[in-house]
Amino acid sequence: MKFLSNRYLILGAILIILAGGLLLLPKYEKQEGIRSKQLLSHAISPERYISTDDISHKIISQDPSFILVDVRDEESYNNYSLPNAINIPLSKLLDEDSLTYLNQDQFDVVFYSNNTFLADQAWMLCDRLGFKNLHVLKGGLNTWYTTIINPTKPNEAMPETEFKLYSTRKAASMYYGVAYPDQNFGNDLPTTPETPKKVVTVEKKKKRKAEGGC
Amino acid sequence: MGPLIPGGYIPLEWDSIIAIFIGIAFGFVLEASGFSSSRKLAGVFYGYDFAVLKVFFTAAAVSVIGIYYMDYLGYLDISKLYVHPTYLWGAIIGGIIMGAGFVTGGFCPGTSLCAVAIGKLDAWIYVFGIMVGVFIFSELFNLFEPIYDGYNFGNITLIDSFGWNPYWVIFIFTIIAVLAFGIADLVRKKIKSVFY
Repeated sequence: MKFLSNRYLILGAILIILAGGLLLLPKYEKQEGIRSKQLLSHAISPERYISTDDISHKIISQDPSFILVDVRDEESYNNYSLPNAINIPLSKLLDEDSLTYLNQDQFDVVFYSNNTFLADQAWMLCDRLGFKNLHVLKGGLNTWYTTIINPTKPNEAMPETEFKLYSTRKAASMYYGVAYPDQNFGNDLPTTPETPKKVVTVEKKKKRKAEGGC
Repeated sequence: MGPLIPGGYIPLEWDSIIAIFIGIAFGFVLEASGFSSSRKLAGVFYGYDFAVLKVFFTAAAVSVIGIYYMDYLGYLDISKLYVHPTYLWGAIIGGIIMGAGFVTGGFCPGTSLCAVAIGKLDAWIYVFGIMVGVFIFSELFNLFEPIYDGYNFGNITLIDSFGWNPYWVIFIFTIIAVLAFGIADLVRKKIKSVFY
């Protein structure tokens, strides 16, 4: 009972000790964005990659639902890139201007680089931040070149599907301006330059006004 | 995790229902602690009863310490909590008016409704006064609008605006609170006890 007579002193002391405890807590960096488990499940999902054939088909059919993002440096982008791609070098990935393209849920974003290395890094960073509809071009521009631009002719022992694929790819490559000796084009097919897409950014939901008082 | 509704753990539709239950609990506790007595509330201004000061200081200290521990342990995301916007001059003028009403009427708006619920006549008059005030304010809103809408500093906190370390702010606040409790007790022991 003696103990209880000092109860206000004890309660006051507990408050001060708890508040002081906050000061002594070791500092740690708070995790931003999605949790590691979610990141892992996204990373191993097969939907993460999109094949060169699919992208080629989308470009030819002028599918408006995606944005191609070239994450290589500006010089490589100017040398060669896919039609209608925008250039966001990896170092500028988190710039304000880039985020308007990446942080939206209107379009599928397809990252690509020479192989998948830089594109995967870009994908990982953006996924971590919780951006939606992110994809990586499987194999990058190297695979693009060996499958779409310069497809290898299947030999006779191969199944029919390979031949079909080859003719599709060959037709696609002609769309991208490759001339074949057996075709009678005078010059490269001109690809019409298109204006970059207008991207609608996601607006953060406004907080509801709370009213309070005593 | 947390806060539960913005975090999507409880659907938004439950918002008002939960608010009603919290409101009932709040009213019950106010009434049970004697906060529907205007003498008790005015006592803090006249210096014979510091229950209001102690209760609100304790509530603030306990919740801020609890929230920061929960934030540290990852149960709550402090950045998602709603911060009421600061309308500087509106708050200063409104504070003076409310303080004057508080000390003359012996209620704050919340406790006046508690007292209405237990049938106190002075509380009925007080709430009627609030309504008159609301009416005058609404009728003259055009006149007051520049003060009401102006000087909005957004949803800021002391910690954001001065760049203070929140943990130090909490620690110092807690010490001030505990000192205030001690001083209030000393004052209470010195003065003649008021019977009400």
